[in-house]
Amino acid sequence: MKLLQAINLTKKFPNKLAVNNISLTINQGDLVALLGPNGAGKSTTLNMLIGVSQPTSGKIIFGDKSASIKDYKNEIGVVFQGSVLDANLTVKDNIMTRAHMYTRTVQLNSLIKKFELESIWKQPYCSLSGGQKRRVDIARALISSPKLLFLDEPSTGLDIQTRTKIWEVLNQLREDTGLTIVFTTHYLEESENADYVYIMDQGKVIAEDTVAGLQQKYTQNVLQLDYLTGETTTTTLDNKDEAIKILVKNAKLLTNFEYRPGTMDDVFMNLTGKEIR
Amino acid sequence: MKGLMYRNLKIYFSNKSGVFFSLMGALISFVLYLIFLRQNMVSSWSSVPDTKLLLDPWLIGGTLTITAITTTLSSLSLMVQDRGKNTLSDLSLTDVSYLGIQCSYLLTAMIVGIIMQLVMYFMMGGYFMIADNSPLEMAIFPQIFGIIVLSSFIWTAFNLLLLSFVKKIDTLGKIGTIVGTASGFLAGVYIPIGMLPTTVQQFMKYTPALYNTAIYRNILMNTQLQHSFKNFPVSVLNSFKDNMGISVKWGSQILTNQQDSLVILSFAVVISMVAVLIFRFSRRVVISRA
Repeated sequence: MKLLQAINLTKKFPNKLAVNNISLTINQGDLVALLGPNGAGKSTTLNMLIGVSQPTSGKIIFGDKSASIKDYKNEIGVVFQGSVLDANLTVKDNIMTRAHMYTRTVQLNSLIKKFELESIWKQPYCSLSGGQKRRVDIARALISSPKLLFLDEPSTGLDIQTRTKIWEVLNQLREDTGLTIVFTTHYLEESENADYVYIMDQGKVIAEDTVAGLQQKYTQNVLQLDYLTGETTTTTLDNKDEAIKILVKNAKLLTNFEYRPGTMDDVFMNLTGKEIR
Repeated sequence: MKGLMYRNLKIYFSNKSGVFFSLMGALISFVLYLIFLRQNMVSSWSSVPDTKLLLDPWLIGGTLTITAITTTLSSLSLMVQDRGKNTLSDLSLTDVSYLGIQCSYLLTAMIVGIIMQLVMYFMMGGYFMIADNSPLEMAIFPQIFGIIVLSSFIWTAFNLLLLSFVKKIDTLGKIGTIVGTASGFLAGVYIPIGMLPTTVQQFMKYTPALYNTAIYRNILMNTQLQHSFKNFPVSVLNSFKDNMGISVKWGSQILTNQQDSLVILSFAVVISMVAVLIFRFSRRVVISRA
C-alpha cells in the first residue's frame, strides 16, 4: 500500500535549483533509502516531505489524497541531521517534556527499554556519546508512535558498531510494529539494507529500484584475480562460464580469486562516472 | 503548551552561567553602587538626612528594571535559537499549535522575568537590611509585585520586537551585551538622569525604562522620602525626585504613578502591535528555514 507519494517535487533557491522535479513513492512498511553525495538534494527533499520547507512546485500525497504537512504531521517522526534535542537537559527531561507536548497517550516504557535508555536516563544529553545521543534522538522521534519515521543521515559520524546497533534496533522495530522508514545516507553499504533505493545526484533521481534490481541493471559481476607475482587484475563480466574458463586457464598462476556481484559503489560509479564523495 | 513552557523554563534555569550572565547588567549596577556611586551621591546630597536609607531603595528600583529587561531577553533568546536550529520545525510536529509555541516563549519569558526580579529584590533588600539597616517593607510588597508583573510584560514585548529582527544565533550575544549596557543608562541607574545633558534626558523619556524605574522608586522610596524631606519645602523634594529619576516630568507636569503605569502600558500595546505585525509577515520565513 502506498503511504506517501511525492509527485514532481521541485525546490528552487534564489541561486540554485536544489531539487529538480523528483517523484517518490513510499510503500507502507518499507525501508526506503535516499542515497547520494553531499549536496545531491537529499536533505532538501526530506525537508519538503516533513514540512520544513515548501516545494516550489509539485505535490505530496499521503495515504490516498493530496495533503499538506498539517494533515499528516501526527503520523510522522523525524530525526534531524544535526540533533535538535536540548543539550543541557537530561535524557529524562528531553523525553518527558516531549511526551507532554502530545495530547494523546504515549508509550514510553517500551521505548526506554528498546533503546536502553535506563542507564543514561539522568545524564545531560550533551554528556552522551554519539551513539547514545542517536539512540535518544530516535526514541524521542518515536514517542508519538508515528507510522512513518524520517531519518536524515542517521549514522553520520558514528563508528561501525554503533551504526550496526542502531540498525538492529530499527529493524526490530520494523518487525514489531510495521514502521515505515525513510532515510538519507551517503554510505553505500547502509543503503544495501533498504527495500527500495532512490539514487540522487545534483537534485535529480538518477536511478531507483530495489538493491538487487539496481545491481542487475547498472553493474556487472566482478572477477578479481590475484597472481603469484603479486599482481591483481579486475575484470567485469556477467557470464559465469566465461569466468570459470578464465579461472581454469590461469589456475596455476593464481594465489586467490574473487567473483562477486557489483556493489552499490559500482552502481553509483556506473551511473555518475564518479565515486560517491 | 504546559509541556513546552516547562521545557523552556528548564532550559533557562538549568544553564547556570546563562542565568548569571542574564543578571550581569543588574549585578554591575549593584556592585558599582556599592563601590563608588553611592559615595558620590551621598556627598552631593549631604544636606538631606539619612541619604543612605534614601539611596538604597533608589538603587533597588533601577536594578529591578535592568533585571526585567535583561532576563526576559535572555529567556526569549531561546526562540531565536530554536528557529536557528531545526528545533522549531521539530516542535511544530507535536500537538502544540504554532500560536501555542510562540505564546509559550512569551509566557516563559514573563515568568523568568518575574522570578528573577523577585530574587533580585529580596537579595538586594536583604543585603541592605543587614548592611545599612534599611527596612524591607512588606506592606508595599503587593504593589511591588504588581510592578514586577507589569515590567515583565512590557520588556517581554519589547524584546520580542527586538528579536523579530534577529535571524542568526550569533547575533544574540551581541544584542545581549548592547541591551545589558544600554539598560543601565536608560533606566537611569549608572548615572542619575539629572546629571545627563538635556538632549539625552529627552531621549530617555521616549523609552519605557525611565518610567518603569520611576514607578519602582516612587513606591520603594515613598516612606523614606517623607521622613528625609519633612523639614524641606516641597520644591526641594520635587527637584530631588526630578534629578534622581524618581518621577518623570513632561513639560512642567510631574507624572503620577498611575500616569507612569499608563505610559508603560501604552508602550506595551504599541510595541506588541508592531511585533505581531512583523510576526504575521515573517511567519513563513520563521517556519521554513531554507
